[in-house]
Amino acid sequence: MRSKNKFFVVLSLVAAVAGCKRSFLERPSNSQISSTTFYQSTSDLRLATASLYGGSPWWQWHNGALLHLGDVMSGNAYFGYNSDLVQLYTRTITGQNGILASGWTGLYNVIAQCNTVILAVQQQSASTISVADKNAAIAEARFMRGVAYYHLAVLWGDVPIIEDNTKLIKQPLLNRNVVADVYKFVINDLGFAAQNLPVTDATGRVTTWSAQGMLAKVYLTVAGLGQNGGVRNQAMLDSAKKYAGNVCKNSGLSLLASYYNLFMAQYNDNPESLFALQWTAGVGYGNGNDWLTFSPSSDINPQKSGAWVPLAPTWDLYRNYSWKDTVRRKASFMLNGDYYPELNAAAGGFHATSQSMKKHIIGNEKDNNAPTMDIWSSIEHNSILRLSDVYLVYADAILGNNASTTDADALLYFNKVRTRAGVDPAAMLDADTILTERRIEFAFEGQYWLDLVRLSYYNPQKAVGIINNQYRMTFSYDPTTGIATKDSTAAPAVVPATISAFKLQIPSSELTSDPKLAQPPVPYY
Amino acid sequence: MKQGNFPHRTLSGSHTRRLLWGVFIFLSFFAGASAQAPPSSKKITGQVVVAPDGKPLQGASVVVRGRPGGQQTDADGRFSLDVRDADVLIISYVGYLSKEVRVGSRQEVNVRLEAEDRSKLNDVVVIGYGKVRRPDVTGSISSISGAELMKTQPTTFDQALQGKVAGVVVQQVSGQPGGGVSIQIRGVSSISGTNSPMYVIDGVIIPPVNDPGNGSNPLNSINPAEIETIDVLKDASATAIYGSQATNGVVVITTKRGKAGAPLINYDGYAGYQEIPKKLPTMNLQQLATYINARAQVWGFDNRPEFANPKYLGPGTDWQKELFRKPPQMNHTLTVSGGDARTQYLLSGSYFQQQGMALGSDFQRYSVRLNLDNKTTNWLKVGTSLQMAHVFENVNSTASSVINSAMNLTPDIPVKNPDGTWGGVTNTNGWVNPVVNPVAIALLIKNQRKRNQLFGNAYAEVQFTKDLALRNEVSGNFDFSTQDYFSPSYTFGKLVNGTNSGSSNYSQNIYGVFRSYLTYNHYFDHISLNAVAGHEAQSSSYENIGGSRSNFPANNVQALNAGDATTAKNSGDNGLGSSQESYFGRINLSWNDKYLLTGNIRDDGSSNFPASNRWVTTWSGAFAWKINNEAFLKTVNVINELKLRLGYGLTNNQGIPGNTFVTQLTTVANGLSGIAQFQSNLANPSVTWEKTNYYNAGVDGSFLNNRISFSFDGYYRKTDGLLLKIPLPLYSGTTAGYSPGSMAAPYVNVGVVSNKGFDLRVSSTNVNLRDFSWKTDVVVSRNINRVVSLGAGDQANLSQKSYVINDIIEKTVVGQPIGEFYGYIFDGVFAKPSDFTKHALPVDQSGNPYPISPAGGGIWYGDRKFKDLNGDGVIDTKDQTFLGSPIPKFQFGINNTFSYKNFDLNVFFSGSVGNKVFNELAVSQTNSQNNTNFFSSVLNYAKTALVDPTGSASDVNNVYVTNPNTHVVGLRNDNTNGNNRPSNLFIEDGSFLRCKNITLGYRLSEKLLSRVHLQSFRVYATVTNAFIVTNYSGMDPEIGSWNPLQAGWDQGYYPQGRTFTVGANITFAK
Repeated sequence: MRSKNKFFVVLSLVAAVAGCKRSFLERPSNSQISSTTFYQSTSDLRLATASLYGGSPWWQWHNGALLHLGDVMSGNAYFGYNSDLVQLYTRTITGQNGILASGWTGLYNVIAQCNTVILAVQQQSASTISVADKNAAIAEARFMRGVAYYHLAVLWGDVPIIEDNTKLIKQPLLNRNVVADVYKFVINDLGFAAQNLPVTDATGRVTTWSAQGMLAKVYLTVAGLGQNGGVRNQAMLDSAKKYAGNVCKNSGLSLLASYYNLFMAQYNDNPESLFALQWTAGVGYGNGNDWLTFSPSSDINPQKSGAWVPLAPTWDLYRNYSWKDTVRRKASFMLNGDYYPELNAAAGGFHATSQSMKKHIIGNEKDNNAPTMDIWSSIEHNSILRLSDVYLVYADAILGNNASTTDADALLYFNKVRTRAGVDPAAMLDADTILTERRIEFAFEGQYWLDLVRLSYYNPQKAVGIINNQYRMTFSYDPTTGIATKDSTAAPAVVPATISAFKLQIPSSELTSDPKLAQPPVPYY
Repeated sequence: MKQGNFPHRTLSGSHTRRLLWGVFIFLSFFAGASAQAPPSSKKITGQVVVAPDGKPLQGASVVVRGRPGGQQTDADGRFSLDVRDADVLIISYVGYLSKEVRVGSRQEVNVRLEAEDRSKLNDVVVIGYGKVRRPDVTGSISSISGAELMKTQPTTFDQALQGKVAGVVVQQVSGQPGGGVSIQIRGVSSISGTNSPMYVIDGVIIPPVNDPGNGSNPLNSINPAEIETIDVLKDASATAIYGSQATNGVVVITTKRGKAGAPLINYDGYAGYQEIPKKLPTMNLQQLATYINARAQVWGFDNRPEFANPKYLGPGTDWQKELFRKPPQMNHTLTVSGGDARTQYLLSGSYFQQQGMALGSDFQRYSVRLNLDNKTTNWLKVGTSLQMAHVFENVNSTASSVINSAMNLTPDIPVKNPDGTWGGVTNTNGWVNPVVNPVAIALLIKNQRKRNQLFGNAYAEVQFTKDLALRNEVSGNFDFSTQDYFSPSYTFGKLVNGTNSGSSNYSQNIYGVFRSYLTYNHYFDHISLNAVAGHEAQSSSYENIGGSRSNFPANNVQALNAGDATTAKNSGDNGLGSSQESYFGRINLSWNDKYLLTGNIRDDGSSNFPASNRWVTTWSGAFAWKINNEAFLKTVNVINELKLRLGYGLTNNQGIPGNTFVTQLTTVANGLSGIAQFQSNLANPSVTWEKTNYYNAGVDGSFLNNRISFSFDGYYRKTDGLLLKIPLPLYSGTTAGYSPGSMAAPYVNVGVVSNKGFDLRVSSTNVNLRDFSWKTDVVVSRNINRVVSLGAGDQANLSQKSYVINDIIEKTVVGQPIGEFYGYIFDGVFAKPSDFTKHALPVDQSGNPYPISPAGGGIWYGDRKFKDLNGDGVIDTKDQTFLGSPIPKFQFGINNTFSYKNFDLNVFFSGSVGNKVFNELAVSQTNSQNNTNFFSSVLNYAKTALVDPTGSASDVNNVYVTNPNTHVVGLRNDNTNGNNRPSNLFIEDGSFLRCKNITLGYRLSEKLLSRVHLQSFRVYATVTNAFIVTNYSGMDPEIGSWNPLQAGWDQGYYPQGRTFTVGANITFAK
């Protein structure tokens, strides 16, 4: 070999061995943004908080637990061919029940996303963003977190509180925290949100009114906690009244004129909606609103598919509707013979042949002019908090520990709800009229179980009595005579409830993962 | 130095002597290099003949070691050459063992070549950036020849390693054609999912692979017939040179290359068919009707009128019979190879086709290989290994879970209705689930993967001096694949898919490596030195794009653009993937051919870690003592080889994906603002390398003229800072698996795990007569896995949930092996009144016992009893315990090869002892409350009777179970008892002995061959997976898994078929 060649080869060797550039080992993702570089402007913060309004973070709770726990467990609805649902209905719930796991996982998913956004805004956002904008973004996340912990507290009672998920890397096993501290945590979150959220914002975003309305509801709940004698804590009732009244009187918001339209996608995010999940079409399984799977018929569903779990209203729910209360009844559930022109409108609408949930059934992709909508992605923005809820909370807070009330404010807002539904206004309010009104107004919105738990805090005997004396059975309806007949065939036997029925079990897989959950709860504060 | 210092004997039959001779030649080569040989040369002549008949061999290559040029023998096998006394001749011919002969003072050199014993391991072992002779190996390395590999007719090479390599546990992940195989070398050291070894195929590094989904196998584009040898590097001293991807071992694959000599044309082909080894016992129609009627009586509702008279019903549809077929398979490989002293080539092409046993699974592979070596000048050598492959896979049966559907669909449903439409559930009354028609789904849905793969290596080797060489290599793996999916609209009775939909995905993965390394060989007095130093840079990147549409005008128009444009969705990603840069060095020292020393060091930088933790050093050392070369053993003729090996190393593992150390924001669609940023992972900014301390001690021996040989290794591996995608409790909002809305769990360095064990290989030539021989090889692997600690305060609690049971079934805790099964102990059913008073009863979470009652919410006869392990009188989550490990205690292989005259027979058994299998399929199929079809064992449900027939059926003292030994829950419409809670009832012993292979071959006699101008012709017949001996009740106890936290789960597994093939191997003469 010639020495010149050797020299050349040695040179190339030296070049190779000298190594690569430092940047050779930097491989950032091309499709994802790193949180360390993302939060540069207010609009970046808004993109981060936007994901807390819907999509996969809410999906497991929304799809897998909200209506199941809120309406089936409470005796409003029934569906036989799903053993997990039957367990809720018959109160034979086991730790292996998948609905418990969905609800638990889903709410903690929301919390994890909120925590991570809050910490990122606090620690990683650019210093050029104003403190007010940062606080507004944190307030949105704390609102969502408050809503999630509120549902955990109502459903499970004592649950672990997590503020910083990264701490779980070192300390993964937590104790439960006492329920009173969970509520305190919720109140802190919602209080911060009420102070830092704007009075108005883009459509769909939460405002200070959303936070104050939610806060009123939480105070009303906490007012009964640990009170047992049928008497609620007056200071808490006063707080509930203060925040609810503020929303009622000062928000400038009013009820949507038509109750029926509340559940049409065209009226998504109407002024009555204080907080609605912001679903969108075509996002695929695990990311969208899949309540169309509760539809009674695939014919009216997108791509004519997916009507798997038609929830039937119970006789116990049906008998609460007065003959005048047809608007809410027809918007909430179908009766045999009902006609819904807007469902599969191209084929002339839908004639119901059975009793099943109507709310949230909005028809197919053509009815909604949403070509990518499918059964996994209904475009309905279902409300978690409506103004009418705050009205009824207000009336309840005013009623307080009185047996009845004729307070003008209480009657004013209570009757706004009734007259909008086309039923006669009430002249006097008591605990039962408010509870029944709430059950009808919010049927199939996952609220009734929460109302019963709220009652069980301070009047357990009454709450237990209510669920033990229900007519838990389905019914038939003859459209020609207009007569409804409750089913006489034996539905699954329902186990008599005790007060422990108002506290859900922790999924047994979670107990196995974290044996500390079985220990007595500890204080957080 | 003087040559006379070394023992110098002429060629003899003794292996030891040949070995020493080889060493001598090897060393004299170095010697020749340092001291110039005398210039005087002479002309010699010689003849090459073949054993045993002494026929002259034409076309054999005769070259002088270390010099270019050479000669081929003529028709009489003769040659003549100019040589010097010190020269060594290398005589070689494909299919024969090459020989090296020192010329010495002879004028005529006659050589007799012996046919290559293909089952014998090659003498040279790949050690990473180099090779050593097998006797000089210091680390723990097992090898297997290509010929041995092909005996089981594997679809992919990794399937064939089972039971052949000591210390390697091979388990099939899916029996679908070309399906995945999990390979663990010496146990599970990592729980992050990458326990598979690193593969190096002709210098192309294939990093450890995770589950590629759908049971597919990323290595299935390699044609096993093209493999020359596989070397499995096991201990740290062997793997450390490969650095941070090699911590779980390295599988080095060397493909066949051309050899100097006359061109050879070889055809290898076989054809056969497969059949399912076993059908699972599902109920036929009569049994189902009888059962449903009995259940309806107890439940009080949902009587099915069509089942009124079971005795008039036929057997109904046997869905397994309808779904499984006896599909054909075939393989053809044609190879041309040859070359001269300067250039050698091998060109091969192959076609492989296999239909799966389940409808909707197929596999085809076309591949072309070109291996080329050229000695361009006396200082430069260049060459390449190139492979192009096209793989077609139909993965529908696995993706659509048709085997599960075949278990679940009831026999009253016809495959097709009389009018030609597909059968399906028409009446859902009676709690009937509309299960899809598996036959229809398997045939209707298109789910095809096509892969085009190009991978290869090009090298240029520069010889600076006799001692110093530089090798530059560039290797790459270019993988282009598409996946086409189309689901037509269909109606199976009540089950309607109203809209058709289709999707297409294209992806490409590019991997490249550039490496250059210097090799220095020198012989000092008594000491030979081999040193390697180099640099390597690896980089991978990927791109993918996909689209989907629905609403196609017709089901037979399936291209994406035929769909409704308004329903179009698309996705795409591209990324830099990962990169790694490394510096490495190795020294091999040998003193007097008695004491061998190896030292490795390697510095790796990986993009997978944050900048602060990016670089790490791996090192190892090994010592070997060739005891047989000591003076005191020289005279012991019984011992041919005896070697002691000791090794230690510290290796590092980077087996995590990139960018887990920062929170990643994914763009998602949102009803609020169009898009939003979703936080897709919980970051761990301090994640760092996983470190393994690896100790190995081994002994190799060979006795009685090499008739008996063994290799035994004991090892201990301790892994610190275990990298794990940590499964936190649900309240963390993270998931290690799939859970919409949860963030990906963080990768964390948790805890310590240890593996210790041994591997043993024994080979013996039991009989060695002129016409008959019998050889036995036994391989045994034993590994004990133990979790030593799991992070701070041992808080981490790694568990895996079964979604069929909806509870934890597998758990990893300190003191136990990784991923042990966990649950309750089944204790019979509640069968007599005293069971309710004496046996512990389950309680709710508040500790209140459930009532004893046949009504809903109660515990009653026919419910399962579980053992009260903590003795607190109640059954709750504290009564769970460990139920055994899915990791085998032993894996072994026993291979027997017989030859009689021209016949050869190979019988190969492989087995596994002591592993447990979670029969998840049986959980639902033996559930008497189920609403799909059942295993026939459900007919033995707990049957109740009354003591006093006129008495109350709800009086606990008036009822008893007539078949108290059953484990099937009675007819109850309630599950308060949690009958299907995780228990040992579903954990079965997965031990098995499998007759993996029986091959009978016949080689045509040379007399016949010479008339038809063939060099060799062998025909054979093979049965693969001939039979299996096991107590496992499922289809196949061999359940591989990519995820050690979820090992040993039978989820309606695609079984391995019994395969019958006949084939021929033909070599054409020139």
